[in-house]
Amino acid sequence: MSTEAAAGLSPAATRRLILLLILLAWEAAPRLGWVPSLFLPPLSQAVAAVHADRMAYAQNLAVTLGEVAVSMVLACGSGIALGAVIGSVRVLRKPMTSLFSSLYAIPLVILYPLMAAWLGIGPESKIAFASLYGVIPAILASAAGIQSIDPHLAVTARSMGATLRQRLVHVILPAAIPSVLSAVRIGGALAIVGVVVAEMLTSTAGLGFLITSYRTVLDSPRVFGAILCVLAIVLIFDAVVRWLERRTAGWSAAIGRK
Amino acid sequence: MIETARTTRAAGIEVRGVSMRYGNAEAGATLALKDVSLSIAPGSFFVLVGPSGCGKSSLLMMMTGLLQPTSGQILCGGQAMDKPYPDRAGVVFQEANLYPWLTAQKNVEFPLMLKGIPQEERSRRAIEALDLVGLAGFAQRHPHELSGGMKQRVSIARGLVQQPAVLLMDEPFAALDEQTRLTMGDELLRIWERTGQTIVFVTHSLTEAVYLADEIAVMSARPGQLMEIVAVDLPRPRSLEMMGTPEYAGLRNRIWQLIRNPAGPGHEH
Amino acid sequence: MKTSRWSAALLHPITFFAAAIAVWEAAARAGVVDPILLPSASQVAQVLAQLLGQAGTWEAIGVTALETLGAFLIAVPAGMLIGWFLAENRYWGAVFKPLFYFLFSIPKSIFLPMFILAVGIGLEQKIAFGVFSTIFIVVMSISTAIESVSGRHRLVAECYGASRRQIALHVFLPSMLPAILETLRLAMVFNFTGIILAEMYVSRAGIGHLLERWGQNYMLPQLMAGVVIVSCAAIVFNESLRALENKFGHWRASR
Repeated sequence: MSTEAAAGLSPAATRRLILLLILLAWEAAPRLGWVPSLFLPPLSQAVAAVHADRMAYAQNLAVTLGEVAVSMVLACGSGIALGAVIGSVRVLRKPMTSLFSSLYAIPLVILYPLMAAWLGIGPESKIAFASLYGVIPAILASAAGIQSIDPHLAVTARSMGATLRQRLVHVILPAAIPSVLSAVRIGGALAIVGVVVAEMLTSTAGLGFLITSYRTVLDSPRVFGAILCVLAIVLIFDAVVRWLERRTAGWSAAIGRK
Repeated sequence: MIETARTTRAAGIEVRGVSMRYGNAEAGATLALKDVSLSIAPGSFFVLVGPSGCGKSSLLMMMTGLLQPTSGQILCGGQAMDKPYPDRAGVVFQEANLYPWLTAQKNVEFPLMLKGIPQEERSRRAIEALDLVGLAGFAQRHPHELSGGMKQRVSIARGLVQQPAVLLMDEPFAALDEQTRLTMGDELLRIWERTGQTIVFVTHSLTEAVYLADEIAVMSARPGQLMEIVAVDLPRPRSLEMMGTPEYAGLRNRIWQLIRNPAGPGHEH
Repeated sequence: MKTSRWSAALLHPITFFAAAIAVWEAAARAGVVDPILLPSASQVAQVLAQLLGQAGTWEAIGVTALETLGAFLIAVPAGMLIGWFLAENRYWGAVFKPLFYFLFSIPKSIFLPMFILAVGIGLEQKIAFGVFSTIFIVVMSISTAIESVSGRHRLVAECYGASRRQIALHVFLPSMLPAILETLRLAMVFNFTGIILAEMYVSRAGIGHLLERWGQNYMLPQLMAGVVIVSCAAIVFNESLRALENKFGHWRASR
């Protein structure tokens, strides 16, 4: 075993220690001249840049968040619905899932210039792109999740005399929550990626746009300020989904197979 | 002519004062086995029976050499089992544990392949072993094409392919349905009549124990201890009709009473 | 079962593509959409044939292929080593796995400026970014594959006196072969995506760069032809590897 293990540090504690060290290194390395600050400005400078230009950052953050929100709703919404249908209808299941997992191999980013050409460089093209980016994995996750719901649960409810509405509300919906959440987690994360990538490529607003435009003028602290904002969005989304999964953890007992 | 039938040399097993302690002193060690001693005669069918947690599986693992007791010793044919000696003891587990990417024949050849035995001899011996367990026509099937009982038979063939002196079996039929269990029990006895090595068999089922055994070691739990060795002197070959006799019921009840009311020092409630 | 054969044929991906192309062509000919915005399928096919006859196209394809291959050959072995280490080493595995999961969900594109500043905009930068895009999925996929090798399979081998080398060769390797192939397949998906993205962002060469240029100049037939080229390359590799996966993993499905 390693010395840390012998010293009794739990993996979680070591992890936090490592993260702390990384943050410290981020601050110290450029200041000490170990890395050029053009490449990696000190963390404090990036934070200061956000603060100094907080209006601009806030506006662009809002643009990005708006695009992300709409994309998530579209990607996860249609993903979950389509996935549920595909997963339940036996005839569709195999061909559809194999179709979508083949499509998954294509770098979807190549479609963005098309969307920019069709929908302009405003939020519409970002939303269209990010929704597409997130919908395929969401469909696959939802289809897989729906298949894993124990069919006996609904049968048991029926044998106890539950009506269709009752079965839906009290058995099927709660049983579907874990697969819904997994589709949300995947579709949502990819919607964020899709929006940011699109904004970096061709845009007039948003955090991705800030990254690109500050890069071209070599303003590294501001570039990293925008990077920090993106990381914050990812962290918060991840935390929210994790919280939801914990709240509904008991319901995953409804899933027959793991 | 198949080279089985009592040419397999059988070995006896000596268990001397074996104890097994898990965990360390401060954390509150669990004493899984306490001072178990027994003697298994070569060529006999010996069964270990007892409730969950009595350490019978641990004891069997120690006989394979994969697990070492905290104190005491296990000898197999005079050899201390400090590590696996596969040509001395073959093992069959509760789940057949066949390698899914290999055919039945290749699975049976596996121990021989590890030893570096050439292909031709491997094939010959594997096919003999499969024939012995009644699966001659299934050599090229993969495990997922076989039923639970058949998989277990392949596992037994694998255990026998090196003609070991001892065959160790850890609840091998527990995962099978009752009818298959009964059939497999008969199969096993038939194979044993032909090969004649010592068999050590762990089971939960009292019925199975009485049906198969020459001697039954009844163990108690918490801590795992040997309570009594019950001799089964029902005539061989055994038949299912014997299960209806009063002698059979008497033996079963005796074992059941022992398990329900563990007597003797060192037992908690 | 005639109905199931019919439905299998009807729902096969190829039928979908054929139908999609038919609808596309019909819509374009009917003038439903402005032909500048949506060139017809036949027009795109023509442009595609033209492009494939031009040296410039092949040069770009070559550059992209080189970058993709380079990044793949670095990221996959490195990722496998790290993944193996994390799987075999309980403690460090537990420390780093959550970090990897998190890194996995961050848009890697936001780090492109760093790569550009550090390595420039040439071949090396694309390869570096490709490695960065790929290595995490390889680590996670491989370490999951190693951990899923049944402990019982190992136990059986140990019972029969197998050495460590024999266990690696006769238990781990065949057990993991389909998972390794899947790792390669997924790695290429992420790798290719990263390379194309880097080329589209800032580049002077490669197919991604061509796509971006065609998009900026509103040359939609060429853009769509480019999309076809990239899609075909991606699908061919993916399906080939999937076929291999199925061949070696025929025993997996039934467990």
